[in-house]
Amino acid sequence: MSLRDEIRAAAAQYPDQRSGVMSGLGLAQEQYGWLPPEALAEVAEALDLTPAHVQAVASFYDMYHLAPVGEHLVEICTNVSCALVGAQQVVEAFERELGLRAGETSEDGKVTLRTIECAGGCGYAPVVVVDHRYREPTRPDDVPGIVGELNGG
Amino acid sequence: MAEAQSLVLGGADERDLTQLSEYRAIGGYAALEKARGMTREQVIEEISTATLRGRGGAGFPMGRKLSLVQPPEVAGKPTYVVANADESEPGAFKDREIMRRVPHRFIEGCLIAAHAIGSKHVFIYIRGEYGAEYEVLKAAADEVRDADLLGDVTLVLHRGAGAYICGEESALLESLEGDRGQPRPRPPFPPISGLYASPTLINNVQTLTTVPIIIDRGAAWYSKIGPEASPGTVVYSISGNVERPGNYELPLGTTLRELIYDVGGGIAGGRKLKAVIPGGSSVPVFTPDEIDTPADFDSIQAAGSFLGSAAIIAVDDRACMVQLALRVEKFYMHESCGKCTPCREGTRWMVSLLDKIETGRAEHSDLDLLRDVCNRVLGKSLCALGDFAVYPVASYIDKYREEFVAHIDQGGCPYGGESSIEGIVAPVDQHTHSPVAEVPA
Amino acid sequence: MAQMSAAEIVTVSIDGREAQVPKGTGLVETALAAGIEIPVFCYEPRLGPPIGACRMCLVEVEGMPKLQAGCTLTATDGMVVRTAQTSPAAADGQNSTLEFILVNHPLDCPVCDKGGECPLQDLTFRWGPPVTRNTFPKRTFEKPIPISPTIALDRERCILCYRCTRFSSDVAEDSQLVARDRGSQSIITTFEDEPYRAPFSGNVIELCPVGALTSTQYRFAARPWEIQDVPTVCGLCPVGCNIESTTREGKVKRIASRNHPEIDEGWLCDKGRFGFAHLLAGDRVVDPLRRSGPRRYEELSWDAALDEAEQMLRAAGQNIVTALSGSETTEQAYGLGKLLREGLGAHCAVMPEDVSPALDAFRLPLSAIREAELIVVLGDDPVVERAPIVDLWLRAARRAGAEVVTTPIGTSDRGVGAVRKGELATRLRESERAILIWSGPGGRGGAGVAGLAAELGFGEKPGCGAFQLLETANGRGVADAWAAAADGEEDDPEPIELLIVSGDEAAANPDVRALAERASKVLAISMFRSPLAGWADLVLPGTSYLERDGTYMNLEGRLQRLRRAVIPPCPDELAWIAKLAERFGVAVSPHAPQVFAEISERCYGGLDYTGIGEQASLPERSSEVDVPKPPAPAKRESKNGGLRLITYRPLFSGPAVQRVPELQFQRPDPEIELSAEDASRLALEPGAQVSVRSNGTSVELRARVNKLLAAGVARVAAEHAQGLGTHVEVGA
Ligand SMILES: Cc1cc2nc3c(=O)[nH]c(=O)nc-3n(C[C@H](O)[C@H](O)[C@H](O)COP(=O)(O)O)c2cc1C
Ligand code: SF4
Ligand code: FES
Repeated sequence: MSLRDEIRAAAAQYPDQRSGVMSGLGLAQEQYGWLPPEALAEVAEALDLTPAHVQAVASFYDMYHLAPVGEHLVEICTNVSCALVGAQQVVEAFERELGLRAGETSEDGKVTLRTIECAGGCGYAPVVVVDHRYREPTRPDDVPGIVGELNGG
Repeated sequence: MAEAQSLVLGGADERDLTQLSEYRAIGGYAALEKARGMTREQVIEEISTATLRGRGGAGFPMGRKLSLVQPPEVAGKPTYVVANADESEPGAFKDREIMRRVPHRFIEGCLIAAHAIGSKHVFIYIRGEYGAEYEVLKAAADEVRDADLLGDVTLVLHRGAGAYICGEESALLESLEGDRGQPRPRPPFPPISGLYASPTLINNVQTLTTVPIIIDRGAAWYSKIGPEASPGTVVYSISGNVERPGNYELPLGTTLRELIYDVGGGIAGGRKLKAVIPGGSSVPVFTPDEIDTPADFDSIQAAGSFLGSAAIIAVDDRACMVQLALRVEKFYMHESCGKCTPCREGTRWMVSLLDKIETGRAEHSDLDLLRDVCNRVLGKSLCALGDFAVYPVASYIDKYREEFVAHIDQGGCPYGGESSIEGIVAPVDQHTHSPVAEVPA
Repeated sequence: MAQMSAAEIVTVSIDGREAQVPKGTGLVETALAAGIEIPVFCYEPRLGPPIGACRMCLVEVEGMPKLQAGCTLTATDGMVVRTAQTSPAAADGQNSTLEFILVNHPLDCPVCDKGGECPLQDLTFRWGPPVTRNTFPKRTFEKPIPISPTIALDRERCILCYRCTRFSSDVAEDSQLVARDRGSQSIITTFEDEPYRAPFSGNVIELCPVGALTSTQYRFAARPWEIQDVPTVCGLCPVGCNIESTTREGKVKRIASRNHPEIDEGWLCDKGRFGFAHLLAGDRVVDPLRRSGPRRYEELSWDAALDEAEQMLRAAGQNIVTALSGSETTEQAYGLGKLLREGLGAHCAVMPEDVSPALDAFRLPLSAIREAELIVVLGDDPVVERAPIVDLWLRAARRAGAEVVTTPIGTSDRGVGAVRKGELATRLRESERAILIWSGPGGRGGAGVAGLAAELGFGEKPGCGAFQLLETANGRGVADAWAAAADGEEDDPEPIELLIVSGDEAAANPDVRALAERASKVLAISMFRSPLAGWADLVLPGTSYLERDGTYMNLEGRLQRLRRAVIPPCPDELAWIAKLAERFGVAVSPHAPQVFAEISERCYGGLDYTGIGEQASLPERSSEVDVPKPPAPAKRESKNGGLRLITYRPLFSGPAVQRVPELQFQRPDPEIELSAEDASRLALEPGAQVSVRSNGTSVELRARVNKLLAAGVARVAAEHAQGLGTHVEVGA
């Protein structure tokens, strides 16, 4: 199925196809890896919306990437519960291992490191989310192993 | 000693309740059948009698909400059930556990609610980060569909994409309609005009998951658990500096002391408790001498805070309260939707002032100004996020003022780099395209 | 109008004063009724339901624990409200909101275009904090940010009230101007760096309550205390939006709306708003011109010009044809008509369009469209291109729940007939709130719609009506005036000794050009040199609607007054027509009011010029329904294969638009609209480049599917159909 058809099929679940914009953005991001303007325009075209509207929606949510991200995405929760039990040490461990600052992508485009708000794993803190999979809890000692997996995989 | 009581999560320790067959083996979906044999009014009556109060934060009685929803034949349009599975309050992780472990009970609750309001459409708005839980729910929904349990109801899973505000019901509806998730003015409330301007019931995951239990066991039985005005069990999410953090289902009204010391195993490493956040990061803080408060809606409110999402965060004495305030406020600034002025501008200003205090550049007047900015935001925003952004900071200042003053007097953080949350990095905004140059005011 | 029983009247107490209003009246309006102002920024009822965003309107309401956004409340009986005037809490609320707004808003009022007419400045003055307590940097941005060639954004001034974005998404429904990002990072923007390109974009400038969105034409052009605002009407289309022309030192600096609630509700299209710049076009004719060579002209004095004109007229006698533009004032057309018809017996005129007086029996204000439940749009031209504001009324109607039926485009010759039979006719007959709209092609078709309305019994139903979207701003007034000017039968003169071309639109009309080939002499009245390109023998300078006094009649049949906003660079038409008429012993006053009195005597029932007022009212429906015979359907040549080509005149075209550089980006794309059937038969992807061929001409255009087109029909804006005939072959 073409991306356009997939977007339309997902939107058809709703009484109003406008509601399909988020699922459409999700599908487009899966295909492109992020949401370049062409992807936004494609979602707009599929759903009979304007690209401006689609971009307005996409930019509202943290999980849509409007700039390129690495092949792998490492996200560290630094909200209260994680912070209280050492999230900052985990951030620093990743920064060390990856040679990146939080918010940066490695030069080879392999990894993006970023901090995120509460991921809903406060009882298993600190929470690290690698490629949308939760690693709970992650201690600074676990970091070299995770980075090794990313480099090996 | 607090007595665990598994209702919402009941059976999940023993069996894999993500499987329809297993869930049915413990009597699953019998409540749905029973409810479908009852009239709408009878179902609503049962839930009203049980005094089931919303578990999403505000504690509004579900029975009352149900009776406010205009049935389709009166409204002349379809009605909708929307399950709020956007759980994003810092400290809360109970809905996630419920969806992962008892997805069928949750879906059953949604279907009973649909029957109660004569709705043919259920939407579950699940926060985008919950990928594994989405997969579990999706599999469960497929099983339910294949087993013909949906009847003529359609069930749609809608994934959020990272925006705390979409937990607020009217913002959630905007988001579900394909717009930016910004709250709407209320009234009209969703039961009158919600999704697609039609009557809509919105409830939290846990609220809905409790519904089959009430239908199954009866309101009379249910309402005897816990305090009279907020009966039943709740899944407490305990986190922070305790020995055994996690989700624990207990009767409402368990005291914070029991939750932290008995259930949670006390403060980790035998350290001293400094502060307790009783309902997720958005509520006013309690000092250690306030922890005998029973954790139910009314008792906590009487003591000056909110039960919120029953997310209890224990803070030990290594944490700098100014840093904590700054971290919390950065969250609310990041999550403010930008629609109303006080929340949008107030959170940013508060962050600037807190940063100034933390870095030792502030004067005493800055602290007074910060406290005054709190007052100026409080009660003036379009939705409660503005208040949520104020409660923590205002209460930290009021209850731990000496720490704020010490920062000013010493020209820096008195913890000297030893605070447990020293240097914590808030999210780098990933999608700001507009270079913002800062110039002196 | 929704048939409601008389609304219940409720009593609301505001600051101790009582207001009695119909239940459900907005609290802001209720307070106003009690003489109390609740300040607002985001509230603007024309944008749809209130959004409660800015929190400027906070009030205390008895029985509600928190301050409430007054703009989101409606009046209920016994409501007790206290505004900032009597409630310290509300005053604190307002003061808080202002302080928060000013945390980021720069205090550059002295250099801001909005300074002196800025709601934020006014409210800060009245309610604002005496000092700023914010010591942190304010947000700054690159400035100004071009939103389009006509609109600039000084982003740091934006207070995020969302008026502009709501206009774009909820009124014009173009969804091009949007908010991006979240929270305090939110910005107003378009997609990537694309311009806001939509027919109504300029309205956001007026909606912006601060100096964030400004007109590129008006930036730094004037300060509010140096300007004069002249109330007049727009003369660029048949809607006749009410406008205010801001002038400074004798020049028009901007056009703003003057909200006539029955006509335009305060919206303008971008042609009307930005088109005034044609007044200063470089090729403007300011002195009379005489042809001195094949393509050369020489200036001559007015006396010489009038002598020459007199000679031309005398030589031609009755053998004159006058081609009118429909942009003349009623008075000009009358003066010219009287001179030619009474003075010379030259009765023959080419009217700009064919208006049907029968429509007067089904007259309604344009605002009635929004109240309708069933609207049928007939014709081949896009509504927005002919009468832009009508497009907004149709959108409003659809949002209010009306059903808008559009007959397949390309069937205009059968359209009326198709509606006459069938289920639609039954529903139209039964409805109390139904409207018919005729949207071209050309200037014909009004009679057909009037006939249909009569058949459907619309004459007896006050909520039902019919409109013809005319092509010209004053085609109706011109027709009335010409008819009133004298008695006498028109017949086609042969040979044509003199062709008088009145106005640039007539000059651009190919039929008129064809007449010119047959005429011995041509006298043109023209604002611009280029359209003449050597075929007029004598050219007298023309003026613009912004330079004239007089009246225009819009498509509803409403007479409105033009007021001279600026002095033209040449005598206006009426002045020299009067002089010329005198030479033929015909009395024509050079003053519009006098001329109008004469016309009014003859055809407007003695209506008084000053009585027209600043906001003209719509005359009663005429009671006699003179049912016209429906025109016979045109014979359609049937050709195998190929498509029948329809062309239309785009909104952004014509002599005025051509001369405004900032408007060029609005001109239509080189596109061809195809029906879904034809697009799939030709296997065309949307956006594919196609070549369109006929008569040995080939034009490259981009294909776009329009589901409203009938199969076998294609549509192209006239400027992209140059050289194409009425049948085309389309291929990849
Ligand atoms: C800023 C904000 C965030 C919220 N987030 C959530 C949430 O994540 N989950 C939730 O169930 N309710 C949330 N709520 C509460 C909802 O608005 C709403 O009250 C709730 O979904 C109603 O369900 P209940 O009656 O079952 O509790 C939030 C409210 C606000 C103001
Ligand atoms: S640009 Fe003007 S109208 Fe638009 S949101 Fe900002 S202040 Fe409001
Ligand atoms: S005018 Fe009421 S909130 Fe803006």
